[in-house]
Amino acid sequence: MNWFYLASPATFYRFAGWLAPWFFGLAAILAAAGLYVGFGVAPTDAQQGEVYRIIFVHVAASWMSMFLYFVMACYGAVALTFNTRLAAMMARAIAPTGAMFTFVALWTGSFWGRPTWGTYWVWDARITSELVLLFLYFGFIALANAFEDPRRGDRAAALLALIGVVNLPIIYFSVQWWNTLHQGSSVKLTGTSMHVAMLWGMLLMAIAFWMYSIGAALTRVRAIILERERRTHWVRGLAP
Amino acid sequence: MSAAAARLEARESPGSFGAAFAWALARDVKLALRHPGETLLVIAFFVLVASLFPLAVGADPQLLARIGPGVIWVCALLAAFLSLPALFATDHADGSLEQMALAPHPMSGWVTGKIAAHWLASGLPLTVLAPLLGLQYGLEPEALPALVAALALGTPVLSLLGAACTALTLGARGGGMLLALLALPLFVPVLVFGAGAADAGAMGLSAAPHLSLLAAMLIVAALGVPAAVCAALRIALD
Amino acid sequence: MSGPGFYIWMSYGMAALAVLADVVAIAVRGARARAAIEEERDLEAQD
Repeated sequence: MNWFYLASPATFYRFAGWLAPWFFGLAAILAAAGLYVGFGVAPTDAQQGEVYRIIFVHVAASWMSMFLYFVMACYGAVALTFNTRLAAMMARAIAPTGAMFTFVALWTGSFWGRPTWGTYWVWDARITSELVLLFLYFGFIALANAFEDPRRGDRAAALLALIGVVNLPIIYFSVQWWNTLHQGSSVKLTGTSMHVAMLWGMLLMAIAFWMYSIGAALTRVRAIILERERRTHWVRGLAP
Repeated sequence: MSAAAARLEARESPGSFGAAFAWALARDVKLALRHPGETLLVIAFFVLVASLFPLAVGADPQLLARIGPGVIWVCALLAAFLSLPALFATDHADGSLEQMALAPHPMSGWVTGKIAAHWLASGLPLTVLAPLLGLQYGLEPEALPALVAALALGTPVLSLLGAACTALTLGARGGGMLLALLALPLFVPVLVFGAGAADAGAMGLSAAPHLSLLAAMLIVAALGVPAAVCAALRIALD
Repeated sequence: MSGPGFYIWMSYGMAALAVLADVVAIAVRGARARAAIEEERDLEAQD
């Protein structure tokens, strides 16, 4: 298949419209499975009791917040390298969902922290970096919309995303760099210190959020395509 | 050789990074010296805001000594930030930015020169003045070298990162607030390690780990950020 | 605030609300885009 065929907004509009519902469906199924495992299968934690179950949404949302920023930056890189409109539109489509997950990560982390460690907020490296990530998302959205010419906004925001991507490793490694209150990373590539059902719950929710993000981005980019390409024949020819 | 032939030869020979850097540095320093008001404003803002904190939190010497390093860092950061819009604005307004972009010299050369000049007019005075503010906050004299070293390493990074954000927002709606939204998050690692170094110094611990990280940031930023600034300027000038 | 239930509900509840807000935002953006196209089509038809 000639992948460059998809780079045309007109073609991608139809492709995304066909594809998106599948991802939403997958997201719903995986979320149901994840919640079942998280609340029905995973046992009560020895130290934290029931409240630890917040991790199933908190960790998934944090992973998504960082992953989506990375994907957004990749689309930005493609947009700058190949000067395509669609890649920039995809970056714009991802940003609000990424910001949403960052907010959810901060909020759920706050409500996990209060009963577990006694405080709603602490200015440790990881939490602070997540807050900074939220501002990076806001900055991207604000910059992209700050110009009369949307193409200038596309390129400026893409470059900003690439500059900001340096923030991601700092978040990831910050737990190792500082002694902090935040729970040490317990999911390592070599093995895990968690009960296997807890791990599955987190993974299922994370993939559910990922599927949702793809569906959301595909649907949002369709709206962006309509906005940008509204003067073209094919858009005018669309059934209302 | 006629003047026209000389100009032609000059245009055909590729410019060098060093020549562009030296030219931009000399030009901007000269301009800054002609208008010392801007540098003085940066210093005045620094001292003014640093004076607000004791008025707000009370003059308890122990409290001030505790928060001093961090507060001084935040004030320096804000002062450096406020001088950023002027980096490209005047040149953009009168068209010299486009002329410079058309020059045969590598863009990163004169861009780095302008950023260096910006640091000389903002970051350097702040670094030099910081010990005085440190004493105002009751810091021990032993704590001051770490503070100064941290600022000396950190403020150039702020100038570099700030320049990238300024180039991105050239001519954008939203002005200074948009610049703040873009730049301040990028400043956070510098602030964390810079204030950490100053705090370590104040507590009598070694600030070497923090300072090494700041130095590493400076090297990486000095090597990498000018390219980003050039890319942003090209986007702005298209 | 008693027990873990409060914290769990606040977390999952807000997460659900946020996802819902995201979905609604996408739908509204699409509806606005379509409305703008309709408006321009009508304006052109009047010419």
